[in-house]
Amino acid sequence: MPGLVWYIVLQALIAVIWAVILRLPPPEPAPQYLLSGFTLREAGVTRPVTLPHFSASRFSMDDPPLYSGRFDWTGADAKRAWSVLLPRFTNGVEVSVNGVVILDSRRDPAANRPDRNTPEIAVIPASVLREGANDLAIRLFVWGPITGFLDRVFVGPDEALRPSYDARTLLFVTLPVVFSAWQAILAVILGIMWVMRRHEPAYGVLAAAMAIGVAQAFLQTPMGESPFSRVNVVLISSAPLESALVLTFALLFFGWKWQRWAFLMFAPGILLALGGLFGHQTLSRALFLFLGVPMVGVSLLVLAYVAARAALQRQNVAGLLLGCAATAMLTGWIFDLLSVFQLMPNRIFVARLSYSALLVAIGAGLTWRFASALNQVDGFAGRLVTRVREAEDKLKASFAREEERARAAALARERTRLMRDLHDGLGGQLVSIVALSERGHAGASVGDAARAALKDLRLVIDSMDDIGGDLMLALGSWRERAMAQLRPHDMALHWHAVTAQGLPVHPELRPWHVIQIVRLLDEGLTNAVKHAATRTVTVTIETLAGADGLDRGRITVADDGRGFDVAAGAAKAARGLRNMRDRAARCGAELELDSDAAGTRVRLTLPHRFPDSDAAAI
Amino acid sequence: MNALGNEASAEAVTVLLLEDDAPTLWRLQDALTRAGYQVRAAGTLAEARAALAKGAPKVLLTDLQLPDGHGVDLIRETRQRFPDTEIMVISILGDEESVISAITVGATGYLLKDAFPTDIAATVRDLVAGHSPISASIARFIVRRTQNNAEPPPGPALNTAKLTPREIDILWGIAKGFSYAEIASHLGLSRQTVPGHIKSIYRKLEVHTRGEAVFEAVQQGLIRL
Repeated sequence: MPGLVWYIVLQALIAVIWAVILRLPPPEPAPQYLLSGFTLREAGVTRPVTLPHFSASRFSMDDPPLYSGRFDWTGADAKRAWSVLLPRFTNGVEVSVNGVVILDSRRDPAANRPDRNTPEIAVIPASVLREGANDLAIRLFVWGPITGFLDRVFVGPDEALRPSYDARTLLFVTLPVVFSAWQAILAVILGIMWVMRRHEPAYGVLAAAMAIGVAQAFLQTPMGESPFSRVNVVLISSAPLESALVLTFALLFFGWKWQRWAFLMFAPGILLALGGLFGHQTLSRALFLFLGVPMVGVSLLVLAYVAARAALQRQNVAGLLLGCAATAMLTGWIFDLLSVFQLMPNRIFVARLSYSALLVAIGAGLTWRFASALNQVDGFAGRLVTRVREAEDKLKASFAREEERARAAALARERTRLMRDLHDGLGGQLVSIVALSERGHAGASVGDAARAALKDLRLVIDSMDDIGGDLMLALGSWRERAMAQLRPHDMALHWHAVTAQGLPVHPELRPWHVIQIVRLLDEGLTNAVKHAATRTVTVTIETLAGADGLDRGRITVADDGRGFDVAAGAAKAARGLRNMRDRAARCGAELELDSDAAGTRVRLTLPHRFPDSDAAAI
Repeated sequence: MNALGNEASAEAVTVLLLEDDAPTLWRLQDALTRAGYQVRAAGTLAEARAALAKGAPKVLLTDLQLPDGHGVDLIRETRQRFPDTEIMVISILGDEESVISAITVGATGYLLKDAFPTDIAATVRDLVAGHSPISASIARFIVRRTQNNAEPPPGPALNTAKLTPREIDILWGIAKGFSYAEIASHLGLSRQTVPGHIKSIYRKLEVHTRGEAVFEAVQQGLIRL
């Protein structure tokens, strides 16, 4: 509630200040140049009048009211130009001095606008002036619906009159043009905003209002009949249309839900336009007074209410600005109304000027809104950056955890595998050594078992080394062990690498693949030593170019011994074979075994890609 | 049986054998003595130094982990005092790190503890003849150091900058299990020149002085000046 009180106080303050400003007398020349003692001849009747004077509203240009006066001029003044200044009149004047017409304001489009308060000044040609008394006649053209008005008239040296004329021109002609230019810029900015943000029709509506205002200001309204005069008349509807659009904007802007009946707001403007197009000029002018002016007032009242609500209920700064502007405009509108009904001593229309206050408010509000939107975006971007950074940190942490877990798991797997390898090979062999030595078998068998144990240990250690996926590096060590194994049996190892490179490199090769392959080859070699009764073992290493472009390595261990029956071997041999097949399968390799009278051949074809997981070992 | 054939020439060859594990010592001593070498055995660094004081052996065969110190120190001393002595490391399982660290102080060969007696004698004989043995795993260890890895592989620092591309190719061949003959034919060399290359590789890997060690550390970027 205190909010409302403060708001009303503020608006009252604005209205008072604005009223005081509007009551300030417009610039005028010194009173010594003021002309008095006019007579008015109207409808055949002549009577003395005092300016400023209101005359009745008329709808005809014929036989206008004629104001006649006199002024003195001496030849001493011949060096200076003399002028007639008419600070304010509605709607048009024709000024003649000594019967010579020196000014017709109807040819000045700005002067034809009653809302512009245009002053007129005319230099009196020296040849027209006479020594002594000179006649000044002013014919006042009035076109309804408002009444005619002629402010006081000044005659004197041009240098004495022109400053106040210039000041009035600046205030009442130039300034409105400046505001109209401002309005044009607003129309463009709002139009662009609406094009870019179609979901906010409020801006489009406001752009349309601004555009109508600009059209009204810059399209001239010459008098008389012209091909465009009818269209010109339509312009008369600009004020109610513009005010309806501004109101629509305010309603949309402050979040009011659009209702169908709200289109009624545009009815006065449209009626006025139709009246201008199809009716008589007098009709459209009468309509303007009874439709246009009240429409502007009603719009302003609703606008003030809507803005006040937004300002009070939602602390909307734009609402507050718009509310203040509406108050100022309403004050101006009331002033004009009083002027029209001749309740003011002078006739200076200020609504248009007050409208500029509204425009400034709209511009300021838009800028404020734009800036706060930018701030919001900045804040949002800042928050987003923070959030993303947080999420990134979390992700990094969880990634590190995951990596740590994966590393730990890999380590555990590797430990398990190592333990199993040691247990499978070395453990069994050591137990066998213990058993042999307990039974007193000194000599050969203990030595063989121990040697086998050492060989296995070497294999396990070897397999731990990083060989960079090059199986040839593992086979290099195996070759040394194989030769050491064959030498006591007087057997030779023929090593035959078909290509210098040997086998393809397998980046996915893991130590356990190496162990399986080397153990498989070891078993092939052991079989040859034990059963083949041969002198030579040949190891062939080659790379097969597959039909699919995928290279596969092949290792063949062949002997030239007596061979054996692969299908019906002894139980121990069968177990050895099963072991070999099992190892090959675990590595994804193909194992071919064939044995005949010419010897035994173990052919291991490696996969193109070694399997990742040791499924069979689980 | 090869050793028997060379008995006469091996007679003059003196071997200083340093090994703290008695059964291993016996085994190696037996194998070498049977092949005709004149073996002096020592169980500690102190004993070995005492033996060296009496005169330079042709071959020093030493274990690395000793009760009173590390074999590397003895190898360095021997290398400096007796440049003509061939030095061999006794290694279990051919563990590359020990062998490589021994090579950098002047060893030119290694011997596996569990090698067959004939192989033991043959290895020593080859070494005396100027043929340094090199295993696939040691060759692999060296060539991996020649590759420009962002992260140097674990193990002792090794300067491979002096190795020629041909020597690196030979090491690759050995690492992949190719015989000297195969390597020679792949590289367009004479088979007889391959052992010379290997000896040269050993020599190049040796760090001769402390100053050189610093220089090479700088070269490898281990030290920034």
